[in-house]
Amino acid sequence: MRDLPRSLDLLALARELLLDELAPLLPPERRRDAHLIATVMAIMGREASSGEEWQDEVKQVVMAFYGEIGPHPNPLPACGEDEEHVLCRFAADLRNGAFETSPSRAAAARAILWRLTIEKLREGNPQFLATNGFRKADRQST
Amino acid sequence: MAVTALPRSEAGLGDRQRALADFLKTASGADAVEISRLELLSGGAIQENWGVDASFDGGQLRGQQRLVLRTDATTGVPSSLGRVEEFAVLKAAFAAGVSVPEPLFACADKAVLGKPFFVMPRVAGSAAGRPITLDPALEPARPALVERLGRELARLQTIRPPRADLAFLPPYDGPLGQIAEFRAYLDLHPNPRPVLEWALRWAATHLPDPLPPVLCHRDFRTGNYLVDGLRLTAILDWEFAGWGDPDEDIGWLCCKGWRFGRLDREAGGIAEHAPLYRGYEAESGRTLDPARVRFWEIIANIRWAIIALQQSDRYLLGGARSLSTAITGRRATECELELLMLLDPAGVAAHA
Repeated sequence: MRDLPRSLDLLALARELLLDELAPLLPPERRRDAHLIATVMAIMGREASSGEEWQDEVKQVVMAFYGEIGPHPNPLPACGEDEEHVLCRFAADLRNGAFETSPSRAAAARAILWRLTIEKLREGNPQFLATNGFRKADRQST
Repeated sequence: MAVTALPRSEAGLGDRQRALADFLKTASGADAVEISRLELLSGGAIQENWGVDASFDGGQLRGQQRLVLRTDATTGVPSSLGRVEEFAVLKAAFAAGVSVPEPLFACADKAVLGKPFFVMPRVAGSAAGRPITLDPALEPARPALVERLGRELARLQTIRPPRADLAFLPPYDGPLGQIAEFRAYLDLHPNPRPVLEWALRWAATHLPDPLPPVLCHRDFRTGNYLVDGLRLTAILDWEFAGWGDPDEDIGWLCCKGWRFGRLDREAGGIAEHAPLYRGYEAESGRTLDPARVRFWEIIANIRWAIIALQQSDRYLLGGARSLSTAITGRRATECELELLMLLDPAGVAAHA
């Protein structure tokens, strides 16, 4: 129903305009601000493109890790009423070393931590992933 | 924290410049002080640094002076010292032979500028991180620069508790106290941070043998010291100083977040560990234990992640309207990647 061009395409054009034409016109002490704005626009574009997909996938992976999940007996305070939130439970269990007696559970928990971190950086800072040698993780950097 | 900002222009001599001139006149014993230039300097995410050019008629600073006035920004972070306390730390470091600007005058009276401040000479050099790590002209000088940083740290660590002049610093209760503080912060944070929880658990179960506490800078890193040509001229920004572990500042300097484009050079993006260790060990007489330093590198990454989140809190909760402040919290995930790389090398191979 929405008109074209798509907002993501307009966002990409606006970012090009900012970096290629406007930033060079700014006094040197304000150019960093222009690049910060461009960074925010890039993050926004990547997050809008990926939607909720990876977050849902990570949530499913954590739920599968636990099997059936109920309220945590000792939730982190910030979880509040949202204490069934799977990542809250996961974080609380990691604080308490809940998986340390089982090497396979510990390895599975670490795999979730890697997945979560890499997915966040794919959106937030794919260049950082690439610089650290995570090139196969950098599948959608811009 | 409601404060009034100084005028951000160089034009005119407003009421606050007059009040500042009067303060400098009294503090220096001059007959008169005229301020010709007052400008906000770049850098300083939590504090404001103002360049002050002033002419002193008599007194201890007789003649033309280029000074720096350091005061609070409109919002801060909880662990930052007040300016008068930072001034006392700077005095102690100066007396211990650490390369710092000579602390001149402190003012706790909010009637002068609306907030406390202190004054020091303006030292030559630049603190900008990327030129220090990337400028080819600096390449031959980098090992010596890092060695010098090691020596500076060793000199700083000759300051040990108890000290009457630093009695405001809380006692050091070891890394478990820091871990408890980090967890207390995460308890209040709205988003769970599983990687930080996992790393904190590792730290809590791998505590190093304790060493007697020393004065730590707690932000000793590239970007917080001045380099003029090939020479280090001053260590800056003492607002986080406190009693701590002798290896804490070394871990912070080596934290990947402070390598400014040279991730391969562990010591502040400038060189490998070796010249840093060499300078520190020569000056202090203490041999560094790499496993102990690694523990503090882990803590450094956790701490940097939490500071990054706190920076975003200044926007989310404190009302700061700075984009650079607001976006800093996103960097916490970079620290989490580094924690995974440090603590799970097998995972690096699986994902790289």
